[in-house]
Amino acid sequence: MSDIATIPGELGVSGTWVKRTGSQWLSSDSIDVRRMASLMLERDARFVTITAMELPDNGGIRLDYHWDVGGELLTFTLSLKSDEKRTPSIHDLCPAADWIEREIHEYFAVDFAGREYEPLLLRTGDVAGVNLHKEDE
Amino acid sequence: MSYRIPIGPYHPALEEPYKLDLVCEGETVRDAELKIGFNFRGIEYLAERRNYVQVIALMERVCGICSNVHTLSICQALERLAEIAPPPRALYIRVIMAELERLHSHVLWAGIAGKIMGFKTMFMTCFLLREKVMDALEIISGNRVNYAMNRVGGVNRDIADPDGVLAVVDCLEHEVTRVIIPIFTSNRTALERCVGVGVLTTEQAKVYAVVGPTARASGVPQDIRRAAPYAAYAEMEFNVPVESAGDVRARLVVRALEILESCRILRQALKKLPTGDFWGPTEEVEVPAGTAISRIEGPRGEVLYSVTSDGENDTPQRVKVRTPTYANMPSVRLMLRGARLADAPLIQASFDPCYSCTDR
Repeated sequence: MSDIATIPGELGVSGTWVKRTGSQWLSSDSIDVRRMASLMLERDARFVTITAMELPDNGGIRLDYHWDVGGELLTFTLSLKSDEKRTPSIHDLCPAADWIEREIHEYFAVDFAGREYEPLLLRTGDVAGVNLHKEDE
Repeated sequence: MSYRIPIGPYHPALEEPYKLDLVCEGETVRDAELKIGFNFRGIEYLAERRNYVQVIALMERVCGICSNVHTLSICQALERLAEIAPPPRALYIRVIMAELERLHSHVLWAGIAGKIMGFKTMFMTCFLLREKVMDALEIISGNRVNYAMNRVGGVNRDIADPDGVLAVVDCLEHEVTRVIIPIFTSNRTALERCVGVGVLTTEQAKVYAVVGPTARASGVPQDIRRAAPYAAYAEMEFNVPVESAGDVRARLVVRALEILESCRILRQALKKLPTGDFWGPTEEVEVPAGTAISRIEGPRGEVLYSVTSDGENDTPQRVKVRTPTYANMPSVRLMLRGARLADAPLIQASFDPCYSCTDR
């Protein structure tokens, strides 16, 4: 724990780690995801995945970046506003993030800035945001 | 002059639908492009429209080989949210089911690898052994594919005859030691097809964050059973086989040794199976608001479930599934670069891909 305790400070965010329900969580909308990715790779952390979720109250998107450090799961959480679903891509720093960024773009229409998308799951021509579809629409 | 060879999405060299576009110069593969999504079923989307009982059954359909892994993962996540601790007997039964599933998956894979190498006898031998494992799974669960064993707070069925399962373990261990390991490690034909083929270096495995036997065959000793134990794995003694060569042979050897380690775990779990209940006291579970994460070491590697509840509805707000093949598949491009065209089917099969899991 002491080894990861310095991470919020190194990222310049005010929060602290909270351990619950299967992970250590650090939540802050001011997380610089590229700095976070660089920091985790410097620490020999393994990228696991990104979880995206539509926020029911305001239509924004929550992104959880999951990393494994020696068996400990670390999750960095940030939110994107509904009218600004854009965050920097980390796939050039961390090739393992390539497919999941493409998938989240297709499921939730999040734009990972600084990258191109080639179709992954959906067919060419389908609109991004398939998981945002509501049955009554 | 380079040329492109499209393979798939339906092709005899690929067992399931995905597409490989190989860029070749002569007989040498220079690059490969992968296309997935032919099995896309929108399972994560559907999960947000099913109640917590239905969603367990839905997740069991993510994969036909490691179906138990998916129900175990989501049940663990829901138990973390609801702060439910399954009884010790249930935790042991979960280990037994998980290891039988690993045996079934690894033996199936060894058979497929044998077939692709042209070893029909090996294919038949492995599938005969796989039948025995599936018989054991059927005796325990009543099912051969979707076992429906896991529930929130425990398991749905007890193991009435641990000695019967032990007999299967003895048989399997004997046959793997007598037939599979010697052939895959010393037979000249097998070695010619596997040694130095489809290499993924340790550095590449780390950069691409591959998981499971694929990572361990490239010298990355990660195993969630050891690093973050769940169910009753903390009470089991086992080794995590690791090879450093990163080639097809290393993937074969790691899986063969893992079969023996699974037998070892099964023997301990069956002999020490605690007495008592195998599910918790409540039939209905209330899931409070929050997000929980569960990780399992499936046959192909780490499976991650992230489940979010709003605490008000009986349907999850979000269910995220990260399957091991999803993490591993991008690295097949590295394995194929520089390979002989004729080795491409074996290389793509060597990390035991599951397209059903990948596409969800």
